[in-house]
Amino acid sequence: MSAAGAHSQIVKRSQLGVWLAQAPGAVYLLAVLSIGLTILTPNFFSIANLTNVTLQIAVLVIVALGMTLVILTEGIDLSLGPVLGLCGVVMGMMVVTDWPLWMALGAAMLIGAAFGVVNGTLVSYVDMPPFIVTLGTFGIAQSLATMLTEGNSVTGLPDYVRWFNDGAPLGIPVPLWATAAVFALTYVLLYRTKFGRYTFAIGGNRRALVLSGSNARFYQVLVYVYAGVLTALASFIMTARLNAAHPTIGVGLEFDAIAAVILGGTSFEKGRGGIIGTLIGALAVGVLRNGLNLMGVSTEWQVAIVGLIIIGAVSLDSIRGHYA
Amino acid sequence: MTITRRSFTTGALALGSAAATGALAMPAFAQGKKPTVAFFVKNVTNPFWKACRIGAEKAAKELNIDLEVVAPTKPDNIEEQTRLVEDWIVKKPDAFVFVPVDYKALVPSIQKANKAGIPIINYNNKMTDIDKVTFIGSDDELFEYEMCKYLFKSLNGKGKVVHIDGVPAAITAQMRKKGFERAVKENPGIEVLASQPGQYRRLPAQQVFENLMQRFPEIDAVVSANDDMAVGVVEALHAAGRGGKTKVVGIDGIPDAIQAIAEGKMFATVDFSGHDQSYLAVQAAVRTLKGEKVPPEILLPVFIIDKDNVAKVARTPEERAVPSWDKTVKS
Amino acid sequence: MSVAVASRPSGHLFGMSPDRLFVVLSRLVALTALIVTLSILSPYFLTWNNLINVLRHAVPLFIMSAGLTVVVLTGGIDLSVGAVLGLSACLAASLIAGGHPELGIAAALGAGLACGLVNGMLVSYARIPSFIATYGMLWIANGMAYVFMQGEVIYGLPAAFRTIGTGMLGAIPVPILIMLGTLLILHVIMHRTPFGVGVYAIGGNPVAARLSGMPVRRRLVIVYVLSGFMASFAGLIVIARTNAADVSLGEEQLLPAIAAVCLGGTSLFGGVGGVAGTAVGALILALVLNGMNLLGVKTFWQAGVLGLIILLSVLADQVVGGRINRTST
Repeated sequence: MSAAGAHSQIVKRSQLGVWLAQAPGAVYLLAVLSIGLTILTPNFFSIANLTNVTLQIAVLVIVALGMTLVILTEGIDLSLGPVLGLCGVVMGMMVVTDWPLWMALGAAMLIGAAFGVVNGTLVSYVDMPPFIVTLGTFGIAQSLATMLTEGNSVTGLPDYVRWFNDGAPLGIPVPLWATAAVFALTYVLLYRTKFGRYTFAIGGNRRALVLSGSNARFYQVLVYVYAGVLTALASFIMTARLNAAHPTIGVGLEFDAIAAVILGGTSFEKGRGGIIGTLIGALAVGVLRNGLNLMGVSTEWQVAIVGLIIIGAVSLDSIRGHYA
Repeated sequence: MTITRRSFTTGALALGSAAATGALAMPAFAQGKKPTVAFFVKNVTNPFWKACRIGAEKAAKELNIDLEVVAPTKPDNIEEQTRLVEDWIVKKPDAFVFVPVDYKALVPSIQKANKAGIPIINYNNKMTDIDKVTFIGSDDELFEYEMCKYLFKSLNGKGKVVHIDGVPAAITAQMRKKGFERAVKENPGIEVLASQPGQYRRLPAQQVFENLMQRFPEIDAVVSANDDMAVGVVEALHAAGRGGKTKVVGIDGIPDAIQAIAEGKMFATVDFSGHDQSYLAVQAAVRTLKGEKVPPEILLPVFIIDKDNVAKVARTPEERAVPSWDKTVKS
Repeated sequence: MSVAVASRPSGHLFGMSPDRLFVVLSRLVALTALIVTLSILSPYFLTWNNLINVLRHAVPLFIMSAGLTVVVLTGGIDLSVGAVLGLSACLAASLIAGGHPELGIAAALGAGLACGLVNGMLVSYARIPSFIATYGMLWIANGMAYVFMQGEVIYGLPAAFRTIGTGMLGAIPVPILIMLGTLLILHVIMHRTPFGVGVYAIGGNPVAARLSGMPVRRRLVIVYVLSGFMASFAGLIVIARTNAADVSLGEEQLLPAIAAVCLGGTSLFGGVGGVAGTAVGALILALVLNGMNLLGVKTFWQAGVLGLIILLSVLADQVVGGRINRTST
């Protein structure tokens, strides 16, 4: 069935039906995993484990939200992982030396924003490929973070830091509050503001926008800045979670975030996709890893399975005409 | 933090976490069920952790328990090991035999395991700020110190030495470097030409040393923070036609290093046995579950392998004889 | 290093457009400047042994990046090169140490071809972005290497095999001859065969390439197969040099490989550049790493320096190249 044919058939159906027919691979992956794991393992479908999974993916969701916006503009940001490490290290070093928390958090966000400005400017105004720009800043952030700490972790954080992972106002853990707040903010920005309209439009026809004399280039920089700032926020939750900051903690996270975005149905072309899909994509990644552990799959096989599932889910989208 | 027999006989429940962990762990044996022990390693890529796995599996077979090996897919990844610990708390095995990929960053998650009442047997890298039944490992600082002392003595206390460091952030590398520095301080005739990290891996160490050879035409000895790197150094020396003039030492006792010592290419190494550590750690876990007393710290003795005793040393962890619990604990 | 797609306007030096000329000259200047600076800063640099040493480092890096270059020329990327290198090295080492050198070499190259074939099919027929397809392959290849090795390290390869990594032919190391041979063959393939010309066309203008009736999909598959093959070939040279293999061999190979391609002046947008440039890029990179070691720079800086090199080389090409293009057309 061609994508166009499928589309014309489902227009008349209910909204849910339409959504399901167009739903990204992650929805099906998540459904299959959840049902399978509930049957196969005694511990999966328990409050304790589900809380566990949601806490585990909080950082991933926040980084992936920023990544979604970048990918919507047909970009990519590989530097987010090391930038998370760098932000965490700087924040950690500041609070350990008795700086107030808000200043440490502010410094981290400034660093995240600064990397966003550099990435965005080179991509938008100099027209360099995003992949290569952010690969370059990946290395730079990585070196800065390891240099600052000589490769060590920053420990001895004040006690209040852990509250940001362990605390649970109204019975809901702080990381979940933070994730929900960031999601809401991103939702409003993306679907209710000029910034959001530009984000979608840049992905489809940046050239036309630039030639027409609009501020497209400026908004494209803002997208990278937003991703950087969210990463700084995520670094704070990560630091609270480990009660320590470590320079290489974020390395590899950028790829998990990209996987979550792609599984969530956002494509590298033409500004198609959205953040609800990313949320589901991140959940699917989290449940997949948790499930493989609960089932006791050996580490060696887990590595290969993760690759197979990424390719499988994306192939599914491709066959259904997602990348046509 | 040890579990005493008395805390069981008096039936004190939930008085302090040590007693609590012991009491919660009891039922597996009491009910005649096979207990499950989650055995953590840092990765599935380095042979050191394979040796650990083999040692642990030998103990598991001997004691008839289920052993589950747990390792991150990304080698030595802190965030992933944190998730692994959380997932395994959900699965609730009878005990954790645990080595942290970062001895500080894993503290909060192990504290969660403490709260869940899972007894922790810590091996290889010592952790603080957690409730652990015991720590089983080797004193890294002492190992490298003794190795260097032996090497410097063979140089008659003078010579030009290069140090190949491990992963600079790793606590083992830091301790080993301290041991090196202590030995250097005691031997004023020893001149340290350079100290550079080789990431505990052969290829980076080999490349670093190939470049160092260009800088220093005369090197009397190379102290390497592990054997994998030491063998890389030996390889580089031979490729440059400088084999035999430089004494190379390492730590670990991996098969390739033992081979190199037997062939006279390498000077000596210290037996840093993951096999023995993990075998004893699983022993300690099972003894704890049975309610036996385990000392709070068990350190393995220093054993230097050189050309005189190399013939008697087992090459692979499979062939290696298991250590005696009673002898190790008493010494 | 010429671009074979467009007809060249007359009056260009050495048959190169001004922006390409800038790329070539800037790299040669960088190379010379690097050599001069290092010889002044370090007395050990300009010794025969050290130079051979640098070249030896550059060889596997070049061979891996050369395959990657061809992928990049089509506008794609192959993130799996490091992982494929690791997997092939493990397979080869285990069979070679077990006394079957021919089988070992065949298995390694076969694994490289197979991984490349899957990548190529995913990219060209399933139309998955190359970035995602090869990232998935990175995990699969790593996983297979983990399963195969079970944390083991394989040592002790026979001397005859090790010739390709450490042997000498007269005064010249064998790996350097291999590098020159590879460069020559690839250069001819890329510039003197319909396949090579097609690769440039696909990267330069994919729509036009398809409309011209060229077998675009089949050529794309071959490109990824070539990249997998080159990565496994590089794996063989690495184990011949280290005399051992473990699964970590492929780690940290990706960033230098991409850096070598960028330094070589191949555009990440596709269609512009070539393997000769990558050879120069690999050489510059090996010199920089060697220099950092000789000068005792902390290894922490390595990732940052690689990142900066990537950024600066692409930035220079983009800014200067773009300006020359604008004034010349």
